[in-house]
Amino acid sequence: MAKSIVQEFTKGLWQEIPPFRLVLGLCPTLGVTTSVENGLGMGLATTFVLAGSNILISLLRNIIPAKVRIACFIIIIATFVIIVEHLMQAYTYQLFQTLGVFIPLIVVNCIVLGRAEAFASKNGILPSTADGLGIGVGYTLSLGALGAVREILGNGTLTIWGDLGFNLASVFPSFQPFTFMVQAPGAFIGLGLMLCAINAIGD
Amino acid sequence: MNDMIKMVVVLTILSSVSGGLLASVHDGTKAQIENQQLKFVKGPAIKTILKGSTNDPITDRFKIQDGDVERSFFVGKIDGKANTIAFESFGKGFGGDIGVMIGVNLDEDKLVGVSVTTHSETPGLGAKAKEDPSFSAQFKSLSTNDSIKVTNDGGSINAISGATITSRAVCDTVGKSLETYKKIKPQLAEQIKAF
Amino acid sequence: MFNQKKFVVSHAPFWHDGSSLSTRHYHIMLAAIPAVIPGFIQYGGRAVAVVCFSIATAMIWEMVVNKIAKLPVSIGDGNAALIGLLLAMMIPATTPWWTVLVGTLIAVVIGKQIFGGLGANPFNPVMVAMAILSLSWKGIFDFNEALLSYDFDFTMAYPLSSLKAFGPDAISSFSMTDLLMGRQTGGIGSTCGIAIIIGGLYLIARGFIRWEISVSFLGGVFVTALLFAMFGEEGKYAGPIFHLFTGYTLIGAFYLATEDASSPVNFIPMLIYGAGCGIMTILIRNIGAYVDGVVLSILLMNLANPLIDKIRPKALGKVVEK
Repeated sequence: MAKSIVQEFTKGLWQEIPPFRLVLGLCPTLGVTTSVENGLGMGLATTFVLAGSNILISLLRNIIPAKVRIACFIIIIATFVIIVEHLMQAYTYQLFQTLGVFIPLIVVNCIVLGRAEAFASKNGILPSTADGLGIGVGYTLSLGALGAVREILGNGTLTIWGDLGFNLASVFPSFQPFTFMVQAPGAFIGLGLMLCAINAIGD
Repeated sequence: MNDMIKMVVVLTILSSVSGGLLASVHDGTKAQIENQQLKFVKGPAIKTILKGSTNDPITDRFKIQDGDVERSFFVGKIDGKANTIAFESFGKGFGGDIGVMIGVNLDEDKLVGVSVTTHSETPGLGAKAKEDPSFSAQFKSLSTNDSIKVTNDGGSINAISGATITSRAVCDTVGKSLETYKKIKPQLAEQIKAF
Repeated sequence: MFNQKKFVVSHAPFWHDGSSLSTRHYHIMLAAIPAVIPGFIQYGGRAVAVVCFSIATAMIWEMVVNKIAKLPVSIGDGNAALIGLLLAMMIPATTPWWTVLVGTLIAVVIGKQIFGGLGANPFNPVMVAMAILSLSWKGIFDFNEALLSYDFDFTMAYPLSSLKAFGPDAISSFSMTDLLMGRQTGGIGSTCGIAIIIGGLYLIARGFIRWEISVSFLGGVFVTALLFAMFGEEGKYAGPIFHLFTGYTLIGAFYLATEDASSPVNFIPMLIYGAGCGIMTILIRNIGAYVDGVVLSILLMNLANPLIDKIRPKALGKVVEK
């Protein structure tokens, strides 16, 4: 029954990778993944909230009364979200501006509340930390992957924090960006195709 | 009954701890956020208003207590003389607060420029106040004694079509800023000598 | 044990005219040939290459998907080839090869196979591909820009772009006979009105497509355009005949809106569906931002198709509640 800490961590990377296996947290997945950078930034912010709230909730799991647990979870999650919002505003202002309303919306991301309710409130602090980090890293990687697919097809570029820049036009000079992919319907089709691929690969 | 008390106690403690934590985070990041906003939002606005200044207006700034609010003033040296200041004030727009940065020449009592910084107006209509340079250009070189109004209200500013409320709000805010300017002009003149 | 052969009851439609899927599709392709030939003559080798490449890649994609999904290879039913042909008929002859490749990929894979293959697609695959392509690469599908290198003895502007940009005064130089005879710029197989009509009539006569959809489509276009011309602002809207013979109207009415899986099967729904496409086309052309509305209007009505197909005759032998 009791899985090792490593297992708790790695399950978030493949078996329960959030947008693809759990199909949760789709709102930011579709909304912000117009570039790798946005996807990774959003994922990291969510990871911070997930890990923080998982740790705190598993610490307090015996104190929080069952009847008001959702209210307590939301207070904890909201606190972390506001912290992350302030920190991003202070240190990564441009990313904060492009992500915009999706940062405060982490509060209602079902992954965070889902992990709190389904995992952290029933498990000890170490497994909960591993679970939160694992799911968070998995989420970050999936957003980054979807962002990469959309950015490279739809814009022909791949930019991570301005340092690692890649331009498809330098390899194929006649490349014309497939603009559809960075528009909203492109997000749905991109996500659908990635879900399809992940399911085809299987466990 | 015991349960009830426990619930109340736990929720109260959680909320107050969270509130305290957030307050300290807010205080801790306040200066940094202000810096970032200066760099990415107000910075470009100041640069356009104080175009041609030889110094860096963002570092050459000072603060003056005006009633309850503390305002930041940015000094621009145009033609080698520090005679222009820019500052921001807020007014009520159609969708929320509008931040308007104005630049005034102290020697001539003239507006050198107006620029909208932060706003939540309707994209495509009110948002043009920020995006359309021809709207803000109308304020340029008006005297500080002119009353700033849209043409519908008997003024000289052509409102953005479809966004009368936003246009009015920008005019009102500019007018209010000018009032402030007139009120504290002696102080400004005193401070600006330092640059 | 009681062993009886079971009756297999399938749901409507029960229509069967004896033809198989492949004869259907090959007949539709046959009927499209008169419309494609003028395109070949006008645009030369480029057009032939685009059409051949489009048909070939559509079939290849179909086979690739069949292989990946471990299904029997279904290129024999001719549907992939038909999709390739129809897509090629709508695009300009100068379309680069990779755009055609992406177009057939979208049509066959995203438009059709993802939903479960032929008969399960909620949208017309060709329309899905056209919509995505023209959203992504506006320059390639802007006929004025695309056909710049050709020089014909008739007006070289795409009629609908002229109408959108300069109003109906600009289109007085197009004579209606010229438009009908295909003396206009446009997609490879979508300009020669008379040939499309002949092909369409053949298909209707043979029962491969339903006249209700085509007629109500054209009726919808005609009536809406007429209303706009009569009651709209003076000198702002073009007349109904112009709308009938330009853009994708005719190819839409005869080949695209009539696609089997995405159009209704009952009489009244078919009329509503066709008329809806026609009305929407003119609304998009006259009020909307896009130059031609056929692609989007057919997609929209495809979306409404399950709903309007609910209008159906009362089932016989049902207990009537008092």
